[in-house]
Amino acid sequence: MAPSGSGKTSLVHFLYGMRQDYNGSILYGEKNIRQFGAEDFALHRKDHISVVFQDLRLFPEQTVGENLEIKRQLNPFHPSEKIKEMAERLGIGNKLQSRAKICSYGEQQRVAIIRSLLQPFDFLLLDEPFSHLDTNNSQKAMELMLEEAKQREACIIFADLERIDYFPYTKLFHL
Amino acid sequence: MALSYKTIKPLLLTGTNAASRWFSYIGLGIGVLLLLCSLQMFINIQQLLTRNSIRKNGSDYISIAKNITNENMGKDNRFSSADLKELKAQPFIEDAAPLIPNLFRVQASAGQMINFSSDIFIEALNNNFIDTVPPTFTWVENQPTLPVIFSSEFLEMYNVFAPSWELPQLSPATATNVAISLHCEGKFGERTFIARIVAFSDRVNSILVPENFLEWANKTLEGQDSTKSSRVFIKTKDANNSDLLKFLDQKNYRVNKDKTMFGRSKQILQGIISGLGVFGLLVILLALMLFSFYLQLVIARSRDNLQLLLTLGYSPAWLSQNMAKQFVPVYIFVVLTGLALTQVMQWSFHHFVMYDRPELSSFVHWAVLAASAVLIILSIITNYRLVKKLLYRMF
Repeated sequence: MAPSGSGKTSLVHFLYGMRQDYNGSILYGEKNIRQFGAEDFALHRKDHISVVFQDLRLFPEQTVGENLEIKRQLNPFHPSEKIKEMAERLGIGNKLQSRAKICSYGEQQRVAIIRSLLQPFDFLLLDEPFSHLDTNNSQKAMELMLEEAKQREACIIFADLERIDYFPYTKLFHL
Repeated sequence: MALSYKTIKPLLLTGTNAASRWFSYIGLGIGVLLLLCSLQMFINIQQLLTRNSIRKNGSDYISIAKNITNENMGKDNRFSSADLKELKAQPFIEDAAPLIPNLFRVQASAGQMINFSSDIFIEALNNNFIDTVPPTFTWVENQPTLPVIFSSEFLEMYNVFAPSWELPQLSPATATNVAISLHCEGKFGERTFIARIVAFSDRVNSILVPENFLEWANKTLEGQDSTKSSRVFIKTKDANNSDLLKFLDQKNYRVNKDKTMFGRSKQILQGIISGLGVFGLLVILLALMLFSFYLQLVIARSRDNLQLLLTLGYSPAWLSQNMAKQFVPVYIFVVLTGLALTQVMQWSFHHFVMYDRPELSSFVHWAVLAASAVLIILSIITNYRLVKKLLYRMF
């Protein structure tokens, strides 16, 4: 938990291997991610770590369905029918055929959340994932993420401006 | 489940410039066509010229003389034994032998049957250099008859002017039956021999007598050794060898047979065709460069999408492989079209220009097929490496 500008997004990017401009070391198991090559990162992101970016990062010209399928096919943890089910659950079931760029920011945020849950992972990184969602939708999304993490016995690293009541954290860090 | 490229294909080839793509394809096609046609023509020339020359034991025999010009006129332009040694030392010359001339006066007449008499010249050459040497072509001292090998061309010439001189035309068979009286006259005496044509030579334009006869006659009648000669016969693997021709030009030796004319035209033709081949290579290089610019443009335009795919966990190797794969059918199509057009060119050349000569084939040479395969492989590899390099740079 930290206020704006204190480095939450930077930390998420360091952990996901997108930036290397930090001191110290980040280890996954025995391996230092500084030693990872391009292919190592690709494998790592496919099998072990998933993320919801603050700036979402969707393909704007593709439909919601296509955006989700692009991630799912990389290493399918769920069958494709699960996409529809998750979308219905988060209230964007009718948006699967719409292009991502015409969806509202809140809808896009839910797409990014579902996308992060379609692969296997040991860690799920969340960078202000509810910034554009009302409490009701945030709670639904949190429930889904907790279920999915439990299914994989995975850890969630959640970065936000303030404490979220419905996120049952085990450790809380202040930056 | 295998990863499908189909899903992500629309993300990558967005808004590409069709014109620049077609320019690169056409450029590549022209380059390939030029290169393959040049290679095929190069092989055609090689096949036409190696099979055309008259050979004995797989070698060419040509006679050379020194070029007589206004500058060296009046000097001794005969080959010395040093010249002969130098000739023999050249790697492309297997052997050399002088054509020894007569140093005394020779008069020929054919008696009653052909009322004709003329001063002539006779020469002697090592038997190994003569194309037709019958066993009767020998002479021993005091033998009154003399075997002669006559140039086929001389017989032809005789038959051309014979009617106008009211002389009978002769077939080769009849000519061998004519007894020719050879009157040899030198400073130290004169002798008359009965000469008979024992064979005709296509290779040597001369009237040849056995070597030992001429040595004996030069010494006995003129008192001189036959050491120098104006003409030398050389034996070479290939009269059209460019090194040989270069050497002859350098030494200012003249080849008095038109055998090397093939070689000279071959030199020029091969030069032009090699130039065309190099030009083809340059066009291919240019086309590949154009293609690489086009690829860079494609990748630059899909930069955001590619970067997001990499962020999501797509492998750069897989992406580059699949992106590069999109162009494989294009490369294969372009090279195969070039090959097909080369085949059409070869067939038309063989059929319409060469009138189905047996030395050539209507089909392209295997080397052209091999070159096409190499071109396909090369373009695929260069393309893959380029895409991979550009993608890894993005990571």
